Amino acid sequence: MMNNPFNLASFRLIFIYTMLLGLSVGLVLMFLFFTTARDIELEADQKIIEKVEDLNNIYLRYREQGLLNYIRSETSRATLDIYRLYDSQNNYIAGNIKTEPKDIKINDDGWIEFAYQVNENGVEKVHYGRGRNFITPRRNLRLIVGRVVNDEKILKERFLYSSLWSILIIIFLGIFGGYILSRNFLKRISDINKTSKKIMDGNLKERLPTTKGKDELNQLSSNLNEMLDRLDSLMSNMKEVSDNVAHDLRTPLNRIRTNLEVTLMSNPDIDQYKKSFEDALVETDNLIKTFNSILSISKVESGTSDLDRNQVSLKELILNMHELYEPIADSDGIKLNYEVNEDIIINGNYNLLSQALANLIENAINYGCSNDNPSINVGAKQNENLLSLWVSDNGIGIRDADKDKVLERFVRLDSSRSLKGSGLGLNLVSSAVKFHEGTLKLINAKPSGLIILIEIPIDS
Amino acid sequence: MHILLVEDDNETASYLIKGLKESGHVVDRASDGKEGLFMAFDSNFDALIVDRMLPELDGLTLITKIREKNSDIPIIILSALGEVDERVKGLKYGADDYLAKPFSFSELLARLDAVIRRNQHENNNSLLELGDLKLDLLSRRVEREGQIIDLQPREYKLLEFLLRRPNQVVTRTMLLEGVWEYHFDPQTNVIDVHISRLRSKIDKPFKGKQMLFTERGAGYALRYDE
Repeated sequence: MMNNPFNLASFRLIFIYTMLLGLSVGLVLMFLFFTTARDIELEADQKIIEKVEDLNNIYLRYREQGLLNYIRSETSRATLDIYRLYDSQNNYIAGNIKTEPKDIKINDDGWIEFAYQVNENGVEKVHYGRGRNFITPRRNLRLIVGRVVNDEKILKERFLYSSLWSILIIIFLGIFGGYILSRNFLKRISDINKTSKKIMDGNLKERLPTTKGKDELNQLSSNLNEMLDRLDSLMSNMKEVSDNVAHDLRTPLNRIRTNLEVTLMSNPDIDQYKKSFEDALVETDNLIKTFNSILSISKVESGTSDLDRNQVSLKELILNMHELYEPIADSDGIKLNYEVNEDIIINGNYNLLSQALANLIENAINYGCSNDNPSINVGAKQNENLLSLWVSDNGIGIRDADKDKVLERFVRLDSSRSLKGSGLGLNLVSSAVKFHEGTLKLINAKPSGLIILIEIPIDS
Repeated sequence: MHILLVEDDNETASYLIKGLKESGHVVDRASDGKEGLFMAFDSNFDALIVDRMLPELDGLTLITKIREKNSDIPIIILSALGEVDERVKGLKYGADDYLAKPFSFSELLARLDAVIRRNQHENNNSLLELGDLKLDLLSRRVEREGQIIDLQPREYKLLEFLLRRPNQVVTRTMLLEGVWEYHFDPQTNVIDVHISRLRSKIDKPFKGKQMLFTERGAGYALRYDE
């Protein structure tokens, strides 16, 4: 479908361009021609006027015979001047126009234009002349004095002819060049097409060909490539989610199923039923929670979410979180402190930030408080264009090798999985940080404890 | 209460009808949006439970049409779309509450109860009262048995929320949304600790009956039995 270069937009552009070029060249040539032709004409006319004056002088001095002699001598040799002399009865007497002029056109300013027959080597031809009438003062003779304008006419025609040809050549070359250029363009398009076809057929690692140039086609290709990379990462993200779902949701589903099945098998009484149902309910609720977490994480990570951003006060965020978690920390014997002095404003999503902070505090409460005098610090501060938000505990910290691992989905360092939790908490934090274009750092504190530091650059 | 359930999935509908009947409600069911609209205009219901995605007429359109008739009947949307923005959209279309599938039945019951009662008596009184527990909205004073109780701001807000829904079950999610304005599930029992703190202030010091109850598997309720 793309094999005809005439259908290409580039070709159409070149076509229009060529047409315009041809037109303007034509106009320029016309202008040149007419101005030059007019100059030549004016000069020739001037000569005839002078000739008429000469003839007048000759007549005044030598009378009719002088005029006749002059005309005879002038016409005896080859000349572009033309003469035709009439007597008072309008009969031809002398001159190099032997036949009566036809198609006489008399202009307002006394110029006449006419056609006449000429016998050239036995061939009858039509010549064209331009001149003036000269009538002797006694009105006994009339003379047409002029010059042949055949050559001018021919020149005009030739000029028009060659102009037309040059325009045609320009147009032809333009269109031919356009065709060649378009074909080149077309080849690149067809390469892109071939590659996209391969990608459509499932070869998702394939990328569009790019060259070193910086032209539009190249930019388009590299943009498309970047888009494909983005899609690829989204795809693998999706794949990861479905793998995780398969892997980590199957286990609790299996527990529910086995529980219900075994209860039914054992000829249960009403209390056993109740117990089994209650267990199943708890498991299902956890499943739903996990499921919701996965969905919201992938929604945040895909970048397609239309989570709105507002002015969020970190002070308010931390105070509210502290207020929410202080009682539960207190009941576990943990001191939950906060440190935030100035009011720091960030353009972000309040709910997402709250959830991230909640997850960090819950993690610290659940995993970070194993010593005698446990405490958790939540804080934020702003250093010029960098905003820091942290949650730290004085627990056992984390091994360096595990630092990246804990950010992944469903990873729980407690391999027995005896503590409750889905293994999605830090993953959501990491997504939320990414959403806010920040970085997440896990730092082991001295002498003990873990600091989770979120750094978000802000526009001042 | 007479409730109209507009839900196209037969299985879900039959569970919901069973549950609602057992909780003492009378339930009619419409299986698509059009039928739902006719039935809603036809007879007087106390509340509507509407699925978001319906054949014939979409749930949100159904609600818009009902609201156009100037009806202020309480409506709860059930939806598989659980995002916060979807929820906001649902409420903007005129729903009173929005519940994402899958939900727990007790959550639905509690919310249904809440929207029906809110509709019945919108309390404009500046004094919230239940038994010998009084909360003055203007002076922000709380007292029981004539004794002033000193509450933290959030405890005050929590108590106000409960006192506006006397003798009703409120779920943890409702509390987290209504008192703290958070829309996520905490993995810990944060709300329970807040409730027990409140309980230690309004129940424990007084010789009167217990008022703040834990409803197993559902949530909490502030009750006063004569």
